Amino acid sequence: MSFTFRLMLRDIRSGDLITLLMALIISVSTVTSIGLFVDRLQLSFEQESANLLAADRLIRSDELISDDWKLEAQNLSLEQAERTSFTTMMFAKDSLQLSQLSAVSDNYPLRGAYLVDDTLFGTGKSTADSPKQGEVWVSSRLASLLNISIGDEVEVGEASLTVSNYLVRDPGSSTSAFAISPRAVMNIQDLAATNVIIPGSRVRYSLLLAGDRETLSEYEEWVKPQLEDGQRWQTPAQRGERIGDTIGRAESFLLLAGTLAVVMSGVAMALASARFVKRHLMQVAILKTLGATPKLLTRIFAQQLFALLIVGALIGLGIGWGIQEIIASLLSSLVSTSLPAPSVDRLWLGAATGFISMLVFCLPLMMRLIKISPLSVLQPNAKIEQNTLFVYVIGFIGMYGLMCLYTNGILLPSIMTVVIAGISLLVAGIGWLAFRLGRSLTSGATSGWQIGLASLYRRLVPNLFQLLVFTLIIMLTLILIGIKSSLIADWQQQLPEDAPNHYLFNVQANQIEQIDNETTQLNVEKSDWYPMVRGRVTAVNEDLVQDLYPEERGEPELFERELNLTWSDTLGQGNELVAGDFSAEGLSVEQEAAKEANLSLGDELTINIGGNIVTLPITSVRTVDWGSMQPNFYLILPKSALEDYPANFVSSLFISDESAQPFYRAMSQFPTVSILNVGDILKQIQTIIGQLSQAIQLVLLCILSAGALVLLASVRSTLEERLEEGALLRVLGAKSSLVRQALFVEFGALGFFSGLIAAIGAEACLYGLQVFVFNTAPSFHLSLWLFGPLIGVGVISTIGIFASRTVLKVPPMLLLRGL
Amino acid sequence: MAKSTAIKVTNLTHTVTSNTGNLTILKGINMEIMEGQSVAIVGSSGSGKSTLLGLLAGLDVNTSGDITLYDQPFSDQSEENRALIRGQYVGFVFQSFHLLPSLQAIENVMLPAELKGDKDARKKAEALLEKVGLSHRLTHYPNQLSGGEQQRVAIARAFASQPKILFADEPTGNLDEENGNLIIELLFDLNKSQGTTLVMVTHDNELAKMCNRQLVMSAGQLTEKSL
Repeated sequence: MSFTFRLMLRDIRSGDLITLLMALIISVSTVTSIGLFVDRLQLSFEQESANLLAADRLIRSDELISDDWKLEAQNLSLEQAERTSFTTMMFAKDSLQLSQLSAVSDNYPLRGAYLVDDTLFGTGKSTADSPKQGEVWVSSRLASLLNISIGDEVEVGEASLTVSNYLVRDPGSSTSAFAISPRAVMNIQDLAATNVIIPGSRVRYSLLLAGDRETLSEYEEWVKPQLEDGQRWQTPAQRGERIGDTIGRAESFLLLAGTLAVVMSGVAMALASARFVKRHLMQVAILKTLGATPKLLTRIFAQQLFALLIVGALIGLGIGWGIQEIIASLLSSLVSTSLPAPSVDRLWLGAATGFISMLVFCLPLMMRLIKISPLSVLQPNAKIEQNTLFVYVIGFIGMYGLMCLYTNGILLPSIMTVVIAGISLLVAGIGWLAFRLGRSLTSGATSGWQIGLASLYRRLVPNLFQLLVFTLIIMLTLILIGIKSSLIADWQQQLPEDAPNHYLFNVQANQIEQIDNETTQLNVEKSDWYPMVRGRVTAVNEDLVQDLYPEERGEPELFERELNLTWSDTLGQGNELVAGDFSAEGLSVEQEAAKEANLSLGDELTINIGGNIVTLPITSVRTVDWGSMQPNFYLILPKSALEDYPANFVSSLFISDESAQPFYRAMSQFPTVSILNVGDILKQIQTIIGQLSQAIQLVLLCILSAGALVLLASVRSTLEERLEEGALLRVLGAKSSLVRQALFVEFGALGFFSGLIAAIGAEACLYGLQVFVFNTAPSFHLSLWLFGPLIGVGVISTIGIFASRTVLKVPPMLLLRGL
Repeated sequence: MAKSTAIKVTNLTHTVTSNTGNLTILKGINMEIMEGQSVAIVGSSGSGKSTLLGLLAGLDVNTSGDITLYDQPFSDQSEENRALIRGQYVGFVFQSFHLLPSLQAIENVMLPAELKGDKDARKKAEALLEKVGLSHRLTHYPNQLSGGEQQRVAIARAFASQPKILFADEPTGNLDEENGNLIIELLFDLNKSQGTTLVMVTHDNELAKMCNRQLVMSAGQLTEKSL
């Protein structure tokens, strides 16, 4: 065995290398486990969202989809399915009904599954099949409108199809308000025989694709430039914007958590390296006096670091993989869907963290270690060559680089760097003042309190550094807890269990009373009725919209399409007035839409309502909670402006599983009323939110454990000096209780101040994160100000006393001899 | 056969920079030490004895003047070459022993031979430890040994590379009389049996008297004390 490894084994035996190895393992395993887990969650979200799309990617087109596109997908070995959707009349015996019909290929859906039932208004069972040739699946609503049941024949154009199932959920079906006719689904091979699609028919063709991410991206790159007007490339995230938003926030959280893990790991590595170097100073000086050349020492340390890296990275990757498996299995018992396996290629992130940490935190210190003068053996006070700026700069670049690598961007790392720099200044200022004050209060130290407080100033620089580390760790913890609570609370608030899951459209004024009676009898919760009239904004302050926005693109949403207009005397649920007077005779505009269209109070909008022109000033601006699932409107007009137009009414309701069947039966009396069921999507969103909340708590736990280990490493880094002092005090006759009290005061004060500064920092960061990253309303967190100092004192003095327990137990002689 | 010159020092000056300005510690020192001689450098604290020892051993670089070890210029060599020369010619014994705390006694003694890639390092170390009377303490760690025992391990380590010159910095400074005597005995025995040149910094007059020559360091100047 080479000398290098014999030295290394001896170092391992002494425990010094173990500290470094542990830090490396913590680094690699934390980043690996979080990286893998986040990847797994992302894959899972994509799958969940893919269920909504019925595919991984989709091309939607108003024209027949080119065979070349299908051929290219086939060449790339992508799975493909087809769906053709259109609105048509369906006939049965002597009834007829306008229906939303989809004709699908045999392997449809590629993701997710149909929910069907053999009883009318049943809740449905999942099936991997799709309608066979000659069959049609109809929604219970359509069946009751056509007065048909399973086994009956229905006619679609010139073809006759047999009803074989009641359709409960149609994966990938559009949930837009324009697709509110009752649904049916048939096999695409029967489509030609129906002869319903003729030139000019409004048909939506979809090509569904599934496969691995890389191939899909390759296909996307190929096909996107060929898309024309009326053709769109869709991803799962676009399909479920609400889910996208939720996932986006969760990803931001996990990304932030992961980045914090990277920072903590970096701190752990830097601390362990510093300790290693400190303990090896004399060893290197002695080796030099014995004839070890700088070259030989460089080789020895390089080989040792390399071996350490390999061993640490392998163990870290193994542990990281294990941890994420445990998290995933814990989660799988909480949610019904199993998480997909993580991508193995994510492991490189953990390995890269280990390598870079070693390179930037360990190597520069080692290089300085090698430069120590052998003269130190004769002059024990000789110190390592001071070039701390270089070490800090390298460490900073490395940490920043790691964060960029991890987040795949520079925004979050830059924000975090600025925050950490600010906190460092705050720590230096407050710490210096507090420690100085502590010292001036303790002249003539005799009690544990006084000795403890005096020590703070005596070891000013190491204590300030330790204060910074403690502060950062506590602050990161508080931030994560703060975000976690506010995110989860926000989600739960956004989508309560009884959020409305059905909309009623096309309700005539004379049907309202009857429907109200039915829902009251069924004990169904329902929002107010909103009258709906369609209209288009044509001019702003007498300037025509087409003149203001000559290009079709870039037109604000408010002017882009025909809007649903309503009138109301009172602000609806989830609406909040931000400017103007809602009761005035004018328009009330939603804030975001107003901002996008650059509108403000007093601007006049001209609206074309069924050929009649209405011009009104904007008299109020309101915010709307789009997540409330209540009917929401960009524009609310005064009653006087709309009451003469024929209006439909809209309302939202929450229908529980039990009340679904009686509700649908009752609604079959109103064949002209359209019912939109968004319950499936809501359920999916709620599942994902539940899953995310659990995941976030577990990731938090993971990070907290890493944080505790870093704290321990930090306490250990100054342990020797404290042990020496404690031993001396005891030699001089101090009781163990005095030494314990002094240690408790010193660590307690460090903990208190770090907790306090951490609370200040966390509150500021939470404000920034809530406003800029998570897009939620900022809030004040009283609990941070209480828990920060409490956690600080509790955790740090416990860890400190635990780590220093030898000073109280071991005979002082042994301690002094060992030093 | 005429003995060769082990160490030759010409016009050696050493200046250090301190808070109060430049301080010249050694002022134009000239001396020659022959192979196999034992030389004591004595003088009051702070007179520059240890600084001279450090420069002679190439642990530090002098400001001006020349040092040669066995006719090899030493003082103007690179750190790399000085380490190689140290490994080839020099052994050390220190006042505070400087054993590596993480290594056992035998491993401490093996170090110099291991650095040279000697495969018999362990055997040689065992023999040396036996010579210093510590064959029963091979696997003990430094903090499990008494001061005298630690210094004996240090002497065994110093002789492990079969040095031509042994530098000792207050070798008995941390020891009681009995252990001190034992160490002195060992040093001189090995000095004689292996023909090693011994250069020692000491406060101990008795120890100094046992050497062939005594050099007195005072105010940065070195003078020979007539015996």
